[in-house]
Parts: sequence; structure tokens; C-alpha cells
Amino acid sequence: MKESPEIQKLEKQLRSTNISAFGFMGTDSRSLSEIINSDMSDLSELGVSITKIVSRMKEITAKAESSLGNWTQIDDRLQARVDEAKGHIICPWPHPAGCAIRITYVRIPETNQDFQWTDLNIHLIEEHNFFEGKGSPYRIEPKELVKIIF
Amino acid sequence: MIITLIISVFIVSSIGAALAFVLVLSEKKFNDYGQCKININEEKELTVTGGKNLLSALGGEKIFIPSACGGRGTCGLCKLRVLEGAGAVLPTEEPFLDKSELDSNTRLSCQVKVRNDLKIFIPPELFAIREYNCKCAEITDLTYDMKQFRFELVDPGTISFIPGQFMQFLTPVYETNTEEIYRAYSISSDPADKNHIELIIRLVPNGICTTYCFRYLKVGDPVRLNGPYGQFRLTDTDAPIVFIAGGSGMAPIKCMLHHMKNTGNKRKTTYYFGANKLKDLCCVDLMHQFEKELANFRFVPSVGALEPGENWTGVKGLVTNAIKEDLQDASDGEAYLCGSPGMIDAVIKVLKEKGMSENKIFYDKFE
Repeated sequence: MKESPEIQKLEKQLRSTNISAFGFMGTDSRSLSEIINSDMSDLSELGVSITKIVSRMKEITAKAESSLGNWTQIDDRLQARVDEAKGHIICPWPHPAGCAIRITYVRIPETNQDFQWTDLNIHLIEEHNFFEGKGSPYRIEPKELVKIIF
Repeated sequence: MIITLIISVFIVSSIGAALAFVLVLSEKKFNDYGQCKININEEKELTVTGGKNLLSALGGEKIFIPSACGGRGTCGLCKLRVLEGAGAVLPTEEPFLDKSELDSNTRLSCQVKVRNDLKIFIPPELFAIREYNCKCAEITDLTYDMKQFRFELVDPGTISFIPGQFMQFLTPVYETNTEEIYRAYSISSDPADKNHIELIIRLVPNGICTTYCFRYLKVGDPVRLNGPYGQFRLTDTDAPIVFIAGGSGMAPIKCMLHHMKNTGNKRKTTYYFGANKLKDLCCVDLMHQFEKELANFRFVPSVGALEPGENWTGVKGLVTNAIKEDLQDASDGEAYLCGSPGMIDAVIKVLKEKGMSENKIFYDKFE
């Protein structure tokens, strides 16, 4: 199906390096709607909603924030820390939204697994159901995310 | 049949081409706003070619308005008062403007298109902002992810700034970056050195500007900065000073300390610097040097977590713990904070518990 000019413009923006040094689509050759549909289908298989995921991500980030950049115990299994940099990053969608440049690092010491997300990841997932394209440095694999945070 | 098909394709293509031609012509005609006059503060009048946004039009005339998003309407920093000629406030501006700003005709200059004559008001201090063509003179590793960049000013060759202010660094187009973009960094250098600017920059993973600075920028390369900007500065009082910073928040505090040394400032000063790990500590030797050179200065670095085998005899734990343990009564002091929003919020809480009035707490948040 041919995409609307608005979606084509958005996809061009997501593939460009205007906002993030490596863009948001990575090396993924799929269209934006294909990426979103595939990730939403993964979530649907797992029976987890976007609301639940975003709520948990925000909860972990908020808990980790109080340790001012140091690792902190989130629960019996998870540790997390938050790293902040100067400035803001804007949402690539055509609406006025921006996030602090903040990365939440999460790890499970027992299994040596680690994971990360940015405040912009949370916004993109919450508002646009977009986990970024494969090959993007901040791509989040929904299945992996669910395994880690729940 | 084939001929009919070819003729049909030809006719449709011709109609398409004609329409495109009409579109180009009409765009030229209707988007041609001619020459527009911008009256600034009833003192100065510029003549610019209409069609650009106000931020770009002013930038083209070497009047720089602070902006962190490069004119995308998302940072809300490029506010100025447009007294006449701007038209209605756009939906993209509304989230950034409160009632008093709307009442005083404050607008985001990046969202106001110059279509006709305008009358604007620019705070006079912004006229001191200049664009500086520089040469990268030195790059020094401060930690594994923080570098100090020293730029020699070429044109103009000198600068005056107030310790605590910041500059905007123009990131050029490079391998993976297709568009010039500005990023703000606090000045860390000695304000007595009028021919150089130093910036402390921490690597942001996949950040456009920091990736350029860390991977591509070399000594000798040309660099463009503009500034100075910002209201973060020391007050002119004798109140004891508490400096608190983390990471690249070191920059403005270091600059203020140079200034205090240059001016023989004898204010009682304590500097709490928080590092997450031992390897995040920087400028320690310089701070100890300041302890010898400044009449009443004490540096209190703290390290959040030590790696196995590391030896650290200083304060352990968060910077907030260091303040709680070390700072007695803060009721007569002033605090200057630079760091992440999380750190600043946590520190403000501690300082208030220590008796410091909120209006004596000045900060430069990383936002």
C-alpha cells in the first residue's frame, strides 16, 4: 500500500541523521508501519500492553534517578542507573515534544543481561508505538524488553 | 491501440508538467514577500528578504537569539517580543508561552515568519552575542568520556564573557550528520584569556555534536561558536559560596574559580564535586591548586561507588551525602549548582534542609 505524503515525510525524517547521529530506523529496510505492526504483533503475542510496558519503564527510571548516576537495586532481580547529559532531544514526529537526554541502564547481575533505554524511547513507545528500526543504536526489541523488566 | 495509449500517457504527463510549472511559478509569486523592515527596540532598523523565519533573519544579520533546537520550535528558548506584524500565535508556540508572555506579545522567533514589516524588542544583552570563527588549538582528555576543547579565536580575535555563561557550538555536516546544528556548552576557561575559549564536553552516546567533537574534530580544524549566553553568574555579595557540580558541570564552576582568583575574591567557598566512579573525577590537581591560590577555598570531591581494589580516602557516596556530612549551616550562604536535573533537584532539597533560602540557590540545569 502506498503511504501518504505525511508518512513518507516522517519516514524520511526517521531515516535522516538530523535529530540523532545515526537516525531512528537503523539498517531496517521495512517501512515505518511494517516495523510498528511487527512489534505490536510481538507484544500482542506476549499479552503485554504498551501502557503496562511504559509504566514499568517509567517506574524503573524514576527509581534509578534518585541514585544520581550510580547503580541502584530496583527489585530482587534488577539494578538500574540513569545517566543524563546536557540538552534536549526532540521527537521526530511532527508535534512539539522533546525529552531530556537521559539514558536508563538496566542489568540483571545474576544472568549478566543488560539493557538500556532513553527518555525519548519511552516517549516514542508511549505516543507512537515505535521501538525504532533494527540496527538503530537505541532499537528496543519488545520481546527482550518484556523479559527484562517484568 | 498502442498509439492511443502513448498519446494518453503523453497528454497526462503534459498536464502534470504544466501543473508543476504553474505551482513553481505561483510559489515564487505568492511566497515573494520582498524586502521587509525589522525595527528593533525603536533604535535600529534592518532590511531583510522576506520569507525566512525571524530567528534565521536575525541570525543572517549577526543578531543571535539563543536556540537549542536549531529553529524546530521545540526548545522554546528563542523567545522575544514581537510588538507589531507577527500575526496570530501558532499552535506550535502555545506550549512554550505562559499568559504573561502571551500578553506581552512574546513569540518563538523561529516560528514567526517574516512576511511584512515587524517591530520587535530584543533584550539589550543579546546584542553582545557574536559569532566567532575559531581554530581548535588543543584537545585534552579529562576522563574516559570527557574532553576539554581549547579554541583560539580568529575572527573576532577576542571575547568578553561573564563566568558562568555558555557558548553555542556549530556542529558542521560530517559523515553521518547531514545538517548543521548548534549545541550549548558552558565556558570553562579563564575569563582573563580573551583570545581563547575552552569548553568541557562529555560524550553523549550517539549524540550528533559530541560524536563530531570526539571522533572527527582535530587540532587545527576550523570551528564556529556564538555567544556568550546565559544568566548563571556569581552575585556581587560577600556571602559564603557553595559550588556543587557533577560531570561536565565542572565547566562553569572552574571558570568562576579562575575569575575569583583573578579578582582576589576572598569569599568563603566550598566546592562539592560528585563523581559516580573514581574514573569520573577530573581537574583534581587544578582544584587543589586553587585551594593554594584562593584565600578561602576548599574542594570536596566525592565518589559514588568504588571498583574492587580502588583506593579512595575522600568522601564516599553521593554528592548529597557529602553536603549533608560536611556543610554545617547554610543559612547565610549562596549555592551555585551545575549538573543533571536529578542531581540539582536532590541538592536543592538538601540545601533547604540546611537552612539555605531557595532564592539563594542558582543553577544551570542540563536541559
